[in-house]
Amino acid sequence: MTAETLSGWRAGIARMRFPRSSFLEAFSIGFLILLVALAVLADWIPGLVNPNFPYGDFSAPPDLTLNGLFGTDALGRSILSRVIYGARQTLVIVILATAISMTGGLILGMIAGYCRGMAERTVDLLANTMAVLPPVLIILALVSVTGTSVVTMTLTLGILDIGTYARLTKGGVISQNQRDYVLAARALGAGHGRILFREILPNLVPTMTAVVPPLMAGLIITEGSLSFLGFGIPAPAPSWGGMIAASTDLISRFPLLIFGPILAIVLTVYALNTTGDFLARRIDIRERQI
Amino acid sequence: MTAPMRSYLRAFAIRIAAGIPVVLLVTFLATALSDLMPGSAAQAILGEFATPEQIAQLNAAYGYDLPAWQRYLRWLGGAVQGDFGVTLYSQQPVAEVLLARAAVTFEIALAAMLLSLAIAIPLALAMAARAGSRIDGAFRIAASAMLAVPTFVSVVVLSLLFSITLRWLPATGWVPLFEDPLENLRHIALPVLCLSVHQVAYFFRVARNEFLATLQQDFIASARAKGFSTPYILWRHALMPSLPQILTVMGLSLTYLLGGSFIVESFFAVPGIGWTVLAAVQDHDLAMVQAILCLTVAIFVIVFACVDLGYALIDPRLEVR
Repeated sequence: MTAETLSGWRAGIARMRFPRSSFLEAFSIGFLILLVALAVLADWIPGLVNPNFPYGDFSAPPDLTLNGLFGTDALGRSILSRVIYGARQTLVIVILATAISMTGGLILGMIAGYCRGMAERTVDLLANTMAVLPPVLIILALVSVTGTSVVTMTLTLGILDIGTYARLTKGGVISQNQRDYVLAARALGAGHGRILFREILPNLVPTMTAVVPPLMAGLIITEGSLSFLGFGIPAPAPSWGGMIAASTDLISRFPLLIFGPILAIVLTVYALNTTGDFLARRIDIRERQI
Repeated sequence: MTAPMRSYLRAFAIRIAAGIPVVLLVTFLATALSDLMPGSAAQAILGEFATPEQIAQLNAAYGYDLPAWQRYLRWLGGAVQGDFGVTLYSQQPVAEVLLARAAVTFEIALAAMLLSLAIAIPLALAMAARAGSRIDGAFRIAASAMLAVPTFVSVVVLSLLFSITLRWLPATGWVPLFEDPLENLRHIALPVLCLSVHQVAYFFRVARNEFLATLQQDFIASARAKGFSTPYILWRHALMPSLPQILTVMGLSLTYLLGGSFIVESFFAVPGIGWTVLAAVQDHDLAMVQAILCLTVAIFVIVFACVDLGYALIDPRLEVR
């Protein structure tokens, strides 16, 4: 098998073979691609109106036109347009937060797993502390002193997940550290940096990719909860949580108008979870072959 | 006292002791919060029309003009004696207010957890016994769909269904348990259902996979060979070995239940911890925010210690250290 003869990054990537996907898994991956495409290309979708300007009647029920697909909100703005632009804001927050927590977690986890001893105990303390903090509570506490802010929220979400990534990385490094390929590299005189970054890190890639989508789903839920409570993305900007909160006030008169943002967030979280399961199944297959 | 009992207690004490640095770290950071306020903290809390006397009074009461470590020592000195300061506006003792609110949140969280376990565990046993069948597949898809429903969606959809459309349950409000147990049950129903949507699916998923793994073990095959009925094998042989995993999940789900309480309590106007913290955030009531952080973290440390020991109590083969 070719993957065993390659080394370093190419081996890590070559091992990312994919199992057969079920219909729901294919649907989930397709939905995520569509969502990202819509969010990136929102400005160039022909006929899509501005999410912040009135477009039709107030609280008009859904119809079959592009902008009226999910109806209009209490200010006459197109809900579909706001759902798409809301996706853009949410995705930016989630991707930035994930970048922060992954970078921090990988660095701390590799140090802890490779050096062990004092470094491991310190990282464990930090990871345990972060694990017991409910993110909504922490961000609310911060918002109580700094006021609502997307930057504070993104940074805090990113920092709070560092513990999870650090714990996973640490476990991965410890389990890989005694494998033959690492011992071989060490015997050939490779330095610590080379062993960590060229030998161990690529082999953590499959495990790490499987945990990213469900953690992203968690971030979307936390961001949505905060926006729903009015402490997340500030009001005029479109956000899924904020839209759900806004249509709740009118729910007894216009119950249909709430389903656009609900559909968006439930499908996104479902698709991320399912993609995570799919990627995790891929690791199972790989481990079974070894 | 028997020897194993003593070692359990010792192990419990060690785990609680290991949690103390975590509690200290979080509460210190909570004290330092007011330094993040733009300008002087007292000014920011009282607003731009505050007089110098009012600012001086607030600083004297809460020490916002002191460095963070001095304020922290002051807070810690009070906290170990059960004094967490007074609330900003009503000037009531924080500990007193918080205990009454915490009871409400725990009633809801406990009810949601028990309801979810009562539904999920028997269902998971039944589905693990017919793993791979159509009905098992249907329940698994339903579970992953329910896991994708955030609390702020379930509160809206369930209250639309049960209180606006069907008019079965009150949409908001709260009646304490000891005042009128039946009315309490009616008011608790919607919050508990909303939290349970996610929990049922979560417990079902974990328990089903865990039971499935247990059912592949040799001792199950030998129980079948002895001719025991399937329900007997499921309840008497498969349930027990799967409990440690389920216990962990129960500990973890507490994070979810407390996080969900913010949404549920603010939506249904239930006077619990979540509702209190939202009010405290709007009022800049930092003493209350800090006490809630302290309480939450302390609860998690204790719960995780209990979960660890629960393993040992369930499975005597595991060594307690």
